[in-house]
Amino acid sequence: MAGKFCVNLTHSTDNTDRATVGFVLANAALGSGKETMVFLSVEGVRLAAKGTATSIHEEGFPPLRELMDNFAKGGGTIYVCAPCFKKRKLDENNLVAGASIVGGAKLVEFLSDGSPCVSL
Amino acid sequence: MNDIEHADVVWDAADLACGVLLLALRGRMESMRPGQVLRLVAQDPGAPEDLPAWCRLTGHTLLSAEPPVYLIRRKKG
Repeated sequence: MAGKFCVNLTHSTDNTDRATVGFVLANAALGSGKETMVFLSVEGVRLAAKGTATSIHEEGFPPLRELMDNFAKGGGTIYVCAPCFKKRKLDENNLVAGASIVGGAKLVEFLSDGSPCVSL
Repeated sequence: MNDIEHADVVWDAADLACGVLLLALRGRMESMRPGQVLRLVAQDPGAPEDLPAWCRLTGHTLLSAEPPVYLIRRKKG
């Protein structure tokens, strides 16, 4: 089915519950046939760095690393807010699968046809 | 008709839920041929609402829903 879906995720190690549910929801959209993009911004950008998600395993959910791996294998895309990433002095050469650092125009372009976006 | 005999593929998803269940379900359906029927057992309490919605979104046909057992026919093409 055509259609796109965006999850705006602003948390990582600061709120592991929100970070986990963000990718569970993204996988639901991907599994439902949507072209799905997770936009990592603010503290969420830390998840784009390899190794961060490895430490996150919320009770009642699969490990976040597993959720992110399945998202990438399923064809999901991760956009990483460039200024948020730069501010935190993270390594752009150490990104997880499916992630790319983008400016705001990429987010606006993705959403410009009226695609839904859920924020966590 | 016995639904197990009717099904081409049987999958016990146990307590997988929400996006974890749906992404795995997508993979299962993609591995099946068009027209084949999956007998899915899903214990998640959200499944009775989620699985009909998933079928409406994806175009697969929900043949029956008797939680925790669901029969889903893979769409053509």
